[in-house]
Amino acid sequence: MLEILIVGAVSSAIYAMLAVGFTLIFGVARILNLAHGSFYALGAYGAYFFTTHLKLPLLPAALLAVALVALFGILVERVLIRPMRKSQLAMLMITLAVALVIEQVLFLTFGSEYRNVPAFIDTKFTIGGVDVGGARLLALGVGTVLIAALWLFIQRTRLGSAILAISQDPVAAQYMGIPSDRIFAVVMGISAALAAAAGVLAGPFLTVQPTMWLLPIVKAFAIVVVGGLGSIPGSILAALMLGYAETIVAYMISSSWTEIVSVLATLLMLMFRPAGIFGRRAPF
Amino acid sequence: MFNKPVDLAGAAAFVVFMALLPLVFGGNYLIGVLTVSVIYGIWAVTWDFMSGLTGRENFGHSLFIGVGAYTAGFMNTSLGFNGWWSLPAAMLVSVFFALLIGLPTLRLKGPYFALAMLSGAVIMQRLMLIFWEYTGGEEGINGLTPLIRSQLGFYYFALGTLVAITALLLALARSNWGLILRAIRGDEATCQAAGINVTFYKIASLVISAAFAGAGGAMYAHYQLQVSPQLFAVVTSITIITMVYVGGMASIYGPVGGAILLVLLTELLRNFGEWRLMIYSCTLILILFFLPNGLIAPTWRRFKAAWGRRA
Repeated sequence: MLEILIVGAVSSAIYAMLAVGFTLIFGVARILNLAHGSFYALGAYGAYFFTTHLKLPLLPAALLAVALVALFGILVERVLIRPMRKSQLAMLMITLAVALVIEQVLFLTFGSEYRNVPAFIDTKFTIGGVDVGGARLLALGVGTVLIAALWLFIQRTRLGSAILAISQDPVAAQYMGIPSDRIFAVVMGISAALAAAAGVLAGPFLTVQPTMWLLPIVKAFAIVVVGGLGSIPGSILAALMLGYAETIVAYMISSSWTEIVSVLATLLMLMFRPAGIFGRRAPF
Repeated sequence: MFNKPVDLAGAAAFVVFMALLPLVFGGNYLIGVLTVSVIYGIWAVTWDFMSGLTGRENFGHSLFIGVGAYTAGFMNTSLGFNGWWSLPAAMLVSVFFALLIGLPTLRLKGPYFALAMLSGAVIMQRLMLIFWEYTGGEEGINGLTPLIRSQLGFYYFALGTLVAITALLLALARSNWGLILRAIRGDEATCQAAGINVTFYKIASLVISAAFAGAGGAMYAHYQLQVSPQLFAVVTSITIITMVYVGGMASIYGPVGGAILLVLLTELLRNFGEWRLMIYSCTLILILFFLPNGLIAPTWRRFKAAWGRRA
């Protein structure tokens, strides 16, 4: 029982880090970023590359990886996505193409075999008789802190209010003199950094390989549909639900069936409440 | 603008050219490449019929392809049916999946359909690996029987199917039906206000698209004589979308040309081996930026205009 509680919390934290960024950039800039999973993959590969090839200590390597991915996200938004903003379809296409290019670059440089990202903590901790890897606990802790920090940043700072304002009414926000293009860049950076941090933290205990961007996108989509596209509290709640639902299915039935949970949740939610739990308006 | 003798002459010239190619150059290698290019043509044209016309982008066309191919695999090997049963069975199963994803998502605005298709394909690929006892896992299903023994015969069968499907979809696209689908792409709310059951048309066009894509998947399975989870891969969908973009969206005939052109070009780039997908993705980005209307359909229109001025 306690094991389910802990393992579920860890996967929820990883999912939340992925989904919050995914929903944030959609809510603010209306960009449905299919390259979001690639930022996660780049974060994990960045940590791997800087530690094994450049022999950097883990902490600077991790920070460097996250910072570079954030910069890369801003670059992608500025150079590739912004010219496509007039068409939703073109934006989807370009982000998907970017995701594939990144997959291919990773494949051509690192090959298709699994890579090991070193963990910050290798020791196992025993909580109430349950053995939990330190890396997992760290992912849970850092994930929670990062999301809380993001929440405070959006609620308490001037820049955060600007982000909120644009997500509520982009036209009115522009009339108030909010530079929306610059805000989009900031949000893209934050979203990419969160995904990369998830990659760095989950890298030690999940498989790191070029196609690792795909499943996170599927999960992020399921979470965002359940929580309501564009809603941050909704995606946190939905991440908890999906993380626990998958863990419970894995323990009660079999880990083979976990992948079905997200699809089932997506389909049922779209059928009965397409706006999601916290969706502001019905999408149809 | 439609059904001009020039269009018919162009189509006839294309079919004759494709039919004569293997006779002139010969060789099983060329026939194989051409067969694959023709099957990709079927997939591209069915993608364009749904997504090009209605503007509802389908990021998981490989779902229908894979489902069709696996249906063919099961029917032909474990169930022991004759190969020809694969085609109708694959169409049925693909239609089932189209309804499963289309019914909840196509009534919604927003990106739900695109993402649900992508997720569907990814999850199906995972399921094929997870339930390896039944699906053969990474290796997939082997030992399918060929539909037609002679390679050339199968190529002509595939070419004939492609021509028939393209003609049917073109006829649909140029009828009232196609007009409604295009109108949905332009302004869904207005269509609804005009009393058109928008959701019905979107789902119906997805069902048609899925049925033929599934049949194409079954044909591919009987050509390769095996199926593998790789059929569900996102790259398959992207390859098809790239072909449609190269051909020209919503033109129906353009994607056929795009598919054949890209398959033949990639064969020329064989030496690049693992760079192939990279080249595809970069082509897609370049086309999105510099040729948003595609290459083949606009060229053909320009040719027709020039021909009209001359005559």
